Order: sequence, then structure tokens, then C-alpha cells
Amino acid sequence: MTETPDQQRKEASAGLMEYSAESLVPFGPIHPALKEPEYFKLVLEGERIVNVIPRIGYVHRGLEKAAESRPWVQNMYMFERTCGICSFVHSVCYGQAVEELTMFQTPRRAKYIRTIILEMERIHSHLLWVGLMGHWAGFDTLFMWVWNDREVVLDLVEAISGNRVHKSMNAFCGVRRDMPENMEDRIVERMKFLTDRARYYREIIDTEETMLKRTENIGRVSADTVEKLCAVGPMARYVGLRRDVRLNDPYAAYDEIPLDIVTRNEGDVHGLLRLRLDELIASANVVSYAVKNLPDGPIRVKIPPIIPAGEHSSHCEAPRGEIFYYAKSSGGRTPERIKSRQPTMANLPTALEMLKGQTLADIPVVLTAIDPCFGCMDRMSFYDTETNRKWTWSGEELRQFGINYYFPERKKKQGSLAESVRQKASHVERAFAEEP
Amino acid sequence: MSETVTRFGSYAEEVGTKLTPLRKNESIVEIPQDKLKALISHLVNDLHVRHLMTITGLDLGQNLAITYHFSMEQDTIHVRTFVPKTEPVALSIVDIVPGAILYEMELHDMFGIEFVGNPWKDRKLLLPEEWPDDLPPPLLKSSKADQIRKRLGLEAAKK
Repeated sequence: MTETPDQQRKEASAGLMEYSAESLVPFGPIHPALKEPEYFKLVLEGERIVNVIPRIGYVHRGLEKAAESRPWVQNMYMFERTCGICSFVHSVCYGQAVEELTMFQTPRRAKYIRTIILEMERIHSHLLWVGLMGHWAGFDTLFMWVWNDREVVLDLVEAISGNRVHKSMNAFCGVRRDMPENMEDRIVERMKFLTDRARYYREIIDTEETMLKRTENIGRVSADTVEKLCAVGPMARYVGLRRDVRLNDPYAAYDEIPLDIVTRNEGDVHGLLRLRLDELIASANVVSYAVKNLPDGPIRVKIPPIIPAGEHSSHCEAPRGEIFYYAKSSGGRTPERIKSRQPTMANLPTALEMLKGQTLADIPVVLTAIDPCFGCMDRMSFYDTETNRKWTWSGEELRQFGINYYFPERKKKQGSLAESVRQKASHVERAFAEEP
Repeated sequence: MSETVTRFGSYAEEVGTKLTPLRKNESIVEIPQDKLKALISHLVNDLHVRHLMTITGLDLGQNLAITYHFSMEQDTIHVRTFVPKTEPVALSIVDIVPGAILYEMELHDMFGIEFVGNPWKDRKLLLPEEWPDDLPPPLLKSSKADQIRKRLGLEAAKK
């Protein structure tokens, strides 16, 4: 590639005036060395996106098929590996679907411990997302601050469960580890610290020019569209729908804990930022309440390995939205069928709707906004059908393009950075190409 | 059981089927293919149960079951329909619930069910492009993981 992104942008805009024809942009083919790969075929009119066709499944691992040949207990820890960010909620949801088939009840203390971990996971996931938003919008200071604060909650999770991400702490009708003693004061103090930080970040995103310019009025959709497309979680709440499983169909200890469900009405990416930071504060309150009111008693009921025949479904509120598990047993040691549906699958149609009408420069911000479980920004290839011109951008270059588009005054400094990144990328590419 | 579910139950009886409670807040209705769209249309448009959680496929031997999971506040309603395995063709509900589009594509990939009326029904969503046509869809009971691995040339990767 010889031209700078800016020259290309000029040419692309010139193209808009000369040709009204549509061009096809294949977005994000795959490479094993890159981040989670997904593929979108974008139809552009000049710089405006008019249609998007998704192609997912490059990292599909066939967990549902694998579950049919594994014992019930083993599946719990396999489904926990569905996601590397919100792992615990998967084992809770799968566990609930199976627990309902047995006649055993989960002890109250275990429900509270589950709630504490679930909400800590939400705080950790939302902080991760706010940081990534800062990164893709061109505000890396925010990214570094937020990820530093994320360590606070990860340390707490590690102190309780022994692990940072894959806790492997859940069990059927209970949890495997009790809360450590004398943690209460430490957790409450840390939650207060995180609440203060979240308030501060809220102030930043409302006043800082970079974030305002990149997120306000970007990715607008109406509440009616969102409802029709069956979006879940923050993607439904940011247009004012009160769709939250914790409120509608309480599980774990949510029926006993006062919960503040946040909804907003802006319906743009900035509203999503506000919503997730407010939710973070609400989650911190839930954790503090649960820790202070933790009931005494057993933490687990042991159940036999054979699950009675029957079918049941369960849904839970993961940080990204509702997850759904369906379990069918024929009375054996292995399940007859397990179905799991993740929130990104439910939110994808809405994300495609959000992309329509946006420019090329908004792709990173809009796709990050749904908090996708794929980091798919790497490698884009462009093809203009009229001029037969082809070019390829890596995710980093696309990010630079977006930043330069909105903040041309930063162009010179950023341009040299993009150049070095490009050199590095081509070096890696050559290394892969040379391999037999 | 809320009022909406009771009303839905009486409508189900009108069209000649029955809403069976599974447990608290959860009920299931089984309906043949030809009456499915009318039932779902009543549920979505008249009763405003608009949130489709997902669609599940089940291999029952002779037939395939398609279950639509709807949720409204605390209630979950499962609508189940059947298609024969020899001719797996079902009607798409994308015109009633636009959010069903990806779930139907997923079922097409995993169970080989064709959804008439889905605009993207011939596209692959999850399976690789080079998936052999003569191999049974992966989530059918007749499909074995070893067989898939062998045909896709993944044996070496496993070792």
C-alpha cells in the first residue's frame, strides 16, 4: 500500500461524487495469528455503509455436539470455557437448567456467593469494554486507566475463587469454595473505590472532546427496531427497554437484593457508555449488599451423577445480555441435547442495523459498542467495483483512519505510527507466506 | 401464570392444541407446521410477546423438533413444531419476528432444515464453506465427530 489513509479517504469521497454505484467491502477475513476472527461483507456507497452481511463461525468449537458425549458435571466446566470474559455466568445458567431437572435445592449461602461473583464479573467485563472503547476511539489514556482499575476487581475474584478468569468454582446445587474469612471490609472498600472511579470516568466521557466526537449520535437505532430484532442486555436498555433477566425472572439471590436497573434513552454509542458505567455502580452496590448480608449455612448439596429424564431451559443476565441454556435429559450420565445461545448472537442483527448509514470510520466504534465476543478488527480488504482498485488495511490502520477522519490535526503524528505498524504487519505477513 | 399466558392458552385451544405447563412460569405448546405462523403471529402481534430468545433443534429419530423460546417478563413460552427428517422444510417466521434470521440460519447449518421465506437461507453462517454436501448436518445423532474430522482433513490437527 503506497497511499496514506487520508489520501484514500479523499479518493473515496471523490468516488462518491463521481459514481453512485455500490462497492463491496469484505471485512475481516481470518488468520490464526489474529484476534477472534469474524467476517462481514459491507456494501458501501462511497463511504456510507448501506448493507452488511455477516459470516460468523470461524472459531465455532462444536460445544453443543461435544456436550452430548460428556458427563453432566464435566459439561459445566466445558461451558464455562465458552467465553474468556464472562465465564461464570455460563456455568450458573447451565447449572440452573440441570438443577431444575433434579429435585435438589441450592442453599441460600451458595446463591449469595454466586451473585457476588456474577456481579464482580459484570464489573470486570464493563471496565474492559470501557477501556476498549477508549482505545478504538483514539483515547488510549482512558484505556490504560480503566484497565488498571480492572485489576482491583480481578484481584478480588482471585482471592475468592482462586482464579482470575475461569473460576471453575460453580457446582450443581452449590459452589465449591466458601468465601474467605475477613474479606468483607476489603470488598466493601474496593467497591467504593470502583464506584468513585466510575463516577470520574462518567465525567470524562461527558466532557472529553475525543469521546464526545466519536460516540455522540453514532449508531442510532429506534426502540421499535431493537425490540423487533430481539436484542438483549445493554443493547436493549440503551433505547429505554426494561429488559433484564435479573429483574424479570430473578435467579441466584437477585430476588432478595435491592437492584437498580439502569435504562437510558439516548440510543447512541455515548448512551451505551453512560449506561455501562451506571450499571457498574449498580453492580458495586449489589456486591457490597450481598457481602454484608451473606447468610450462614451450607454451600453445597451433593447430587447423584445421573440426571432424571426431562427438559428445562434457563436464562441469565450476562454482562453482554441474556444468555440461554436448554437441557434435555433421557435419564443417563450424558445429556441428550444441550443448547446454548450467547448474547452476541442475539445482538448481531441490531449491530448490523446500527452500521447502516454510518461511515467507514465509525466501524470500529460501532462494532465495539455492542461489546462483541469477537475482536475482529484485524485485516480488512477493500474493493472498489468501479475503478477495480484493491487495497488492504489491518485493524490498526482502520483505527488510525477513524482517528484521522475525526481529528485531522493529529494526522502527522499518528501517520508515522501507522507507518511503523504497517511495516510490522507486512513483516508478519511475509513470515507466514514463506512458510511451506 | 400471567393473564397473557392464560389468553394464549385459550387461543391455543381454539386452533386445536393445548398449552401444557411445564413448571412455574414455563409452558409448552405443540403445533403442526401449517398452523405455526398463525399461532406465532397471535403471540407476537396481539399479545405483544415480542422477545424470541432462540430457536432450538432436536433430533427425535423420525422427526426433527423445532422449538421457539419466547419470553415475556417472568413467563417463558415454548412453541414446538415438527418436520420429518426425510424432508426437513419449515416455514420461516422472519416476517413476524425479524430477529429470528440468524437462529434460522444456525438451524439450517446444524440440522439441515430449510426455512422457506428466510432471505439468507442459502448462506452458511457457522459451518465452513468447504463442508461436504454428503455429510449429515453435525447436530443430527447420525453424525459422528470422528467422521467429520476425517472428512474435513482435521485428523492431523488432532494428533
